[in-house]
Amino acid sequence: MAQVSGRQVFAERTAVLLITIVMLLPVAWLITTAYKPSNEIFSIPPRLDFQPTLDQFRNIFGYFDVVSLLRSSIAISAGTTVLSLLLGVPCGYALARSRSRYANFFAYFFLAIRMVPAIASLIPFYLMMRDIGLLGSWWAVIIINTMLNCAFVTWMMFSYFRALPRDMEEAALTDGCTQLGAFFKVAVPAARSGIIACVLFCVMFSWNDFLYPMFLTTLDSKPLSVALLTAYGTKDITWGSLGALAHFSTIPIVLMALFLNRYFVQGATNGVQ
Amino acid sequence: MSQTSSTGVQPRAQTPRLGWLSRPRSFTDSRRFFLFFMAAPAVLYVLVVGVWPLAQGFWYSFFRYNLIRPARTKFIGLDNYIAIFEDRGARQAILNTFQFTLTSVGLQLFFGFCLALLLWRDSRFNRIALAFLLIPATITPLVVGLIYKALLGADYGLIGYYLANAGIGPRTGLLTDAGTALWVLILIDCWEWTPLMALILLAGLKSLPADVLEAGRADGATAWQRFTMIVLPLMLPSIFLALVLRTMDAFRVFDSVFVTTGGGPNDATNTLMVLAVKEGLQFFNIGYASAIGNITILFIACMATVLLLVVRRADVRINGK
Repeated sequence: MAQVSGRQVFAERTAVLLITIVMLLPVAWLITTAYKPSNEIFSIPPRLDFQPTLDQFRNIFGYFDVVSLLRSSIAISAGTTVLSLLLGVPCGYALARSRSRYANFFAYFFLAIRMVPAIASLIPFYLMMRDIGLLGSWWAVIIINTMLNCAFVTWMMFSYFRALPRDMEEAALTDGCTQLGAFFKVAVPAARSGIIACVLFCVMFSWNDFLYPMFLTTLDSKPLSVALLTAYGTKDITWGSLGALAHFSTIPIVLMALFLNRYFVQGATNGVQ
Repeated sequence: MSQTSSTGVQPRAQTPRLGWLSRPRSFTDSRRFFLFFMAAPAVLYVLVVGVWPLAQGFWYSFFRYNLIRPARTKFIGLDNYIAIFEDRGARQAILNTFQFTLTSVGLQLFFGFCLALLLWRDSRFNRIALAFLLIPATITPLVVGLIYKALLGADYGLIGYYLANAGIGPRTGLLTDAGTALWVLILIDCWEWTPLMALILLAGLKSLPADVLEAGRADGATAWQRFTMIVLPLMLPSIFLALVLRTMDAFRVFDSVFVTTGGGPNDATNTLMVLAVKEGLQFFNIGYASAIGNITILFIACMATVLLLVVRRADVRINGK
């Protein structure tokens, strides 16, 4: 991009800035509702000079067992992420390094699994969990989330490892390094940023998901996302309380995505270059 | 008979072995076993937890099977599939899903491309702006639904109130009117996913060969000519990837619809996923819901194939390969 006038750059930046602000207004509205007194949330025109209050946060601790909800969300996300990486990273590596003609087939098989709509496997899975007595536990959600996420991780690490040269590992192997040693000491450190992107996406998927936990968990094991859904429509819960509760379900992920933006971009654009 | 088949197989079985002998030493049998055992757990896991339920779902779809009346389970062949196409509500859901997917992905492609072109110049400003633009895509889809439900209500919502006052749109609110609800859902989907589309396209733009773009400029091509004759053809693979990813996701839309309208009013925003969830996990109509799930998979597979063929065609026509 050679020789561009300052005026053009200025125009572009103004446009980008305006778009960003417009896109973020709904989010800003949600955040501010949590700090408004209940009677001002829907005041029209919206007032910016409201007296900020933490009442809504106090309210939600009265209505919900926030600690239990957070614990469920964290347990489900952490369990899913750890299991998905344990299964997916070695598999992606093996498929990328294998010289079998089936390797590519399996890689695309994992990609196809991610395209399948959740509902098609959810109903039989629901019956399966009922039969083995896991229905209502975190494990039911972790098991099915891990299936989808490890397919994602495998595909992602497959394309990542394929782009990395094999020379280093092969040199390590000829130097007498064990197969596992070559994987853990050479391949995994080289693929660090791909793995971070996988962690980010696994946490995001499982933290934000509510279809599976809605049907697979009970009152004691439900995560934040399900609580939000059930809270909505209950009479004594105001939009302000919902906004406050939404803080817990959105802010951790948004912050993660902002700070790890480089990895987020990498994960979302994987396979383009 | 067995003689001929064994001699017929012999040469084919030998070729890979010869090929394997000529491979570098480091790719030994132990390496091969190691890689096999690295891949096996994930493959097994997905087969047991992913493919097995899918196969079961395929099987259930041929039965009248309701969890509330399990004693009346009966093999009924293709009747569940026929019922989908005979039911007005289900037909409406199919049409809605296609309308939602095509319009929303089309709009996202257009706006996403515009946004990507705006952000093309690599600068700190653009990188930070992109990070913030991606916030909608990282927010829980459920919360997205709640935000818009609150904003669009005609009596109390910030946007809804002004629209109703100005006499624009239906009096009951945009989300509760059969004529507008689906369009609102499309716009919500665009708000959520256009930045992600832009991100995928931007990655494509940034990987374009600089010398080709430079040559176009040196030849005195106008900006529009450079765009249609250089950028667009080279971008086809990225566009294809973005389209496939977003189409698959949009076709499976569930969260935002379920939260904002629940498929209503009068099935106006019912999509295949919402219908299947209602039938399967609220009415426990396992057979019928499985049939809907299978039809959804079939549609998705068909669309992926069509997209692939279209892009191949376009690639041949433009690049002459």
